[in-house]
Amino acid sequence: MADVQTERQTASGGMAFGLTRETVVKWAPLLVLCVLIAFFAIMEPRFFSVRNFARIGISSAPALMVAVGVTFIIIMGSIDLSMEGTVSVSAVLFAFAFLALGGTVASWAWIALPMALIVGALIGFLNGLVHVKLRIPSFMASLAMGFVGTGFALLLTGGDRIRIEDELFRSLLTVRWFNFPIMCYVALAFVLIAWFIQSRTTLGRNFYAVGGGEELAHASGLDVNRVRIMGFILAGVFYAVGALLAVGRIGIAETATGNNFMFVSITAVVVGGTALWGGIGGVWNTLVGVLIVNVINNGMVVIGLPGYVQQGVLGILVIVAVVLSTDRKSVSFVK
Amino acid sequence: MDSIAKTIGLDFERVRQHLPWVTLVLLILVVGLADANFLKPQNLIGMAADIVPLFIMAMGLTFAIYIGGIDLSAQSVANMTTVIATVSLATFGIGAALICIFFGAVLGGVSGFVTTRLLVPSFVSTLAIGGVAFSIGEWLSGQRALYMDATMRDNAFGWMVGNTAGIPHEIFIGGVLLVGAWFLQSRTTFGRALKAIGAGELAAVASGLNVDRIKIMAFALSGAFAAIAGLLFAVKLSGGSPTIANGFLLPAIVAVLVGGTPLTGGVGGVINTLIGTLIVAVIRSSMLYFEIDATKQQMVFGIILIVAIAVTIDRSKLSVVK
Amino acid sequence: MYELQSVDKMFPGVHALKSVDFKIGRGEIVGLVGENGAGKSTLMKVIYGAYQPDGGTITIDGTAVRFQNPRQAMDHGIGMVFQEQSLITNLTVMENIFLGFEAQFVSMGVINWSKMAEAAGKQLAKVKLDIDPGMVTSKLSFAQRQLVELAKVLTLEERIDGDLVILLDEPTSVLAKDEVELLFKLVRDLTSRASFIFVSHRMDEVLELSDRVYVLKDGAVVDVVSKTEANVDAIQHKMVGRDVDKEYYREQRQTDFRDGVLVSFDDVSLGTSYRNISFELHAGEVLCLVGTEGSGREAILRTVFGLDRPDSGTVTIKGQPVTRFHARAGVERGIGYVPRERKIEGIVGGMNVYENMTLSQMQNYSSNGVLRIGDEKTLARSWIERLGIKTPNEYKDCGGLSGGNQQKVVLAKWRSGGSDVILLDHPTRGLDIGAKEDVYDMVREMSADGVGIILVADTLEEAIGLSHTILVLKDGEMQRLFNGFREGKPTLYDLVHHMI
Repeated sequence: MADVQTERQTASGGMAFGLTRETVVKWAPLLVLCVLIAFFAIMEPRFFSVRNFARIGISSAPALMVAVGVTFIIIMGSIDLSMEGTVSVSAVLFAFAFLALGGTVASWAWIALPMALIVGALIGFLNGLVHVKLRIPSFMASLAMGFVGTGFALLLTGGDRIRIEDELFRSLLTVRWFNFPIMCYVALAFVLIAWFIQSRTTLGRNFYAVGGGEELAHASGLDVNRVRIMGFILAGVFYAVGALLAVGRIGIAETATGNNFMFVSITAVVVGGTALWGGIGGVWNTLVGVLIVNVINNGMVVIGLPGYVQQGVLGILVIVAVVLSTDRKSVSFVK
Repeated sequence: MDSIAKTIGLDFERVRQHLPWVTLVLLILVVGLADANFLKPQNLIGMAADIVPLFIMAMGLTFAIYIGGIDLSAQSVANMTTVIATVSLATFGIGAALICIFFGAVLGGVSGFVTTRLLVPSFVSTLAIGGVAFSIGEWLSGQRALYMDATMRDNAFGWMVGNTAGIPHEIFIGGVLLVGAWFLQSRTTFGRALKAIGAGELAAVASGLNVDRIKIMAFALSGAFAAIAGLLFAVKLSGGSPTIANGFLLPAIVAVLVGGTPLTGGVGGVINTLIGTLIVAVIRSSMLYFEIDATKQQMVFGIILIVAIAVTIDRSKLSVVK
Repeated sequence: MYELQSVDKMFPGVHALKSVDFKIGRGEIVGLVGENGAGKSTLMKVIYGAYQPDGGTITIDGTAVRFQNPRQAMDHGIGMVFQEQSLITNLTVMENIFLGFEAQFVSMGVINWSKMAEAAGKQLAKVKLDIDPGMVTSKLSFAQRQLVELAKVLTLEERIDGDLVILLDEPTSVLAKDEVELLFKLVRDLTSRASFIFVSHRMDEVLELSDRVYVLKDGAVVDVVSKTEANVDAIQHKMVGRDVDKEYYREQRQTDFRDGVLVSFDDVSLGTSYRNISFELHAGEVLCLVGTEGSGREAILRTVFGLDRPDSGTVTIKGQPVTRFHARAGVERGIGYVPRERKIEGIVGGMNVYENMTLSQMQNYSSNGVLRIGDEKTLARSWIERLGIKTPNEYKDCGGLSGGNQQKVVLAKWRSGGSDVILLDHPTRGLDIGAKEDVYDMVREMSADGVGIILVADTLEEAIGLSHTILVLKDGEMQRLFNGFREGKPTLYDLVHHMI
């Protein structure tokens, strides 16, 4: 019973209160972040200290990179659940190459850093191919690829941990400028790069076009499949950056390096206000989302709540965020 | 051109139905030829008994996938139930089983509610509810591995892991649940409604079915079966921990899909999942026989999963592949 | 000179375009008219490269071309102005205008936004639209979006050296009178550079703007009339075509309806869909809703079935005022819905004949939730025989049946469940002649049994032939109620006159 008239009515109805809704969706995440910070600061003054903020920064940095990567995919209206595998593989391969090439950034081993990013890009490319060429919905294609990735990492390490003890590399964590370790600045630099891609490049804008209306974009002459594959490559690169920061933080690369990134990054992106249906949101939303997730985590520990409650709280939060950001009328049915 | 493609397509449809069991038979033959010991009844029975918890979880997942959804919380729910079973055994004895199933069904039902009423896609809602289940497990267990009191366990649940006429009881449990699930799926109005929703949701709505309620029930069933799997696991290992069943989700999804229930829903069912689970079991044991390192298992299953999805999904149902 | 020569397009079971010849010269404006399903949209899709023809040739200035996708058609100067829904609303106006062609504003990988804004401003000036190119499209009115669509296509002027062919698909449907005039003036001014193909339901507008008009019917061009010799009546006659054979619609068997009222609408309104609708449906009556696409026909069906709650007015079904609006409630009230999208909303492909027939009434074929499959099969067998459904047996997958037989299964579902109000939404769409006649037989049979039927017909002849009463709608408002069976059936022209 497709009825032109009803559709039109819905569309104009959406416009009428669209302004308020848009504004709410736009600023709600930042407001939530501020309220959370205020709440924890009142509960426990120690929360509101540079020292603690640095702690939040350290725990946020790797997750932020992964979340920024998946943001591009979600803007396109797809999803990527392969990050755990990609992070593990990138981390492990990086560690092997790094040690084989000399084990310190001061030697030729620095090549392992860009190499890790290429590994990430390759995995992302593979991901995109499986999704686009085999015409498998992205959540399933990427979930399966994630399993393959974790399996591959396990295969490479045989379950062992690889230690990276190079002081220069570890300076990501150990050297601090203005009380914050270098990794926080690295993460911020990559967020700026992501923002640049999102707002100033054709590829970035095409992500929004695909998310806003894939068939329309195709009819306008856009090569949608190419944009999709490029999106997965880009995401893979950011996962690899996340992997490097994760290794820098604890000095160990292993199969488990990627653990938990899926849940945290998807939660962060959605809580930050990027709609799962695509077309809305961006890297700044994701920055706020990652901070919300990590402030909750850190805050709970600081005020003396056990950390494991976090997953449950985030689970509920992600549902609330999706519900708030969903324009019900535009979704006929959800599976 | 079109008609040729169509004929091939039709033929493939016909082949597709039989692919799962043909694969299973071939696999058994290949492994059997490589090592005749594999075909010994005792070995086969042992293999089947080992796979029962996975089979039960996969059966539950079948309901969620049959309606075109997915349940990514199954593993976390099973984890949580191992803890619940261990903790409540002391107080409630055999009643612990009911508590487990109840919690599993409730969490599944919540996933279903969030999916249907709040319009959150099932892979997100179940991921989120999985997070909740994880937290409950951690909280109840105090983040430790717990152990059951041996006497209490044997009194309450000894029957689950016994042995009659050389056949482990797990196989009976799996069999009874399979018959129940099969009956539900193919002989009841509920099962018929599930099929209609999976094969043509809009037609089901237009025929006046209460689609939301049926979908919620499907997710609740998935949760309940995951809980039973967790319970059996806890009894077998005589304890529980919030991470004990990790690594189950992938093979369970593989079992459902390889069995021939596609992600797009509407065809397949629990019998298919039985075959799929057996395929998973044979592949696993064949890895032992061919001395393939255990660390390769996950990768192999991941690749099988991709192939299985690519072969089984009904692309005509996906207007836009996102 | 753009030309199609004996172009064919086939879809499974449908011959959508039959040896269509079509040409358009430099600077010409050509109208394209036809009823719904006559093949207009297929023809347009072939022209702008979304479909590839199965036979025939396309030539531009004598050179044969073949487009794999819309992009290649654009590169040959063929552009499509879609209805207003085709802009991507989360992008800005300028991004929409240059979507897919951003490269010209990129240097060193960076988009120069001010350069793009400037270029977009030029395009917008062509259509005399004074808005900020950086505005998000969702904030524009529909009329503005329509003009942005046109501006977007006009970027071809700069990109392509040769002549342009621009398709306008129902461009006036969302415009007010003065906006339409502005658009027409624009189009006429642009003929120095481009020729236009103009598709519209509004016949007077087609005649006003076009130099020639192509009339499509059943996938074939039935006539080409030039502006000087064209008039609305003649074209409409060509559109609806053949003389009506009374027996075709089983009019000999038509019996008068009864007194009992099954459905009544009392001053019912729903948003912009329809307003102040009142009618009564009696037992045995076939009531036909007639109007163009978007006139509110389907929306009224949805309300009767219980899917959409009206804003005001009272809907009464079998004496009970309706308060619950939900598909399930509709089924419980004994209303059966035969949807236009037969394969999506009608039957469940992948389920067999008996499963489909009992889908809406499983409670009658089960005890405590356990199905009595034997009873289901018995039911299916009796209806297969009664309606002459061509299927080898009752457990054959419905997805594999022909369209006509699928339609019979859907009807059997409702009739066997005892529905006494049946809603038929384009019940004969896509069926061949024989299957159509079967549907007409069933309509007569149901009517004789006292079933009330509300019909949205595929063609006007069908509407006149089948119905007792006809309600003519235009833009959601009732124009006229013809009590045809009792007071003499209206002619095609009576109806068209009130529709447009």
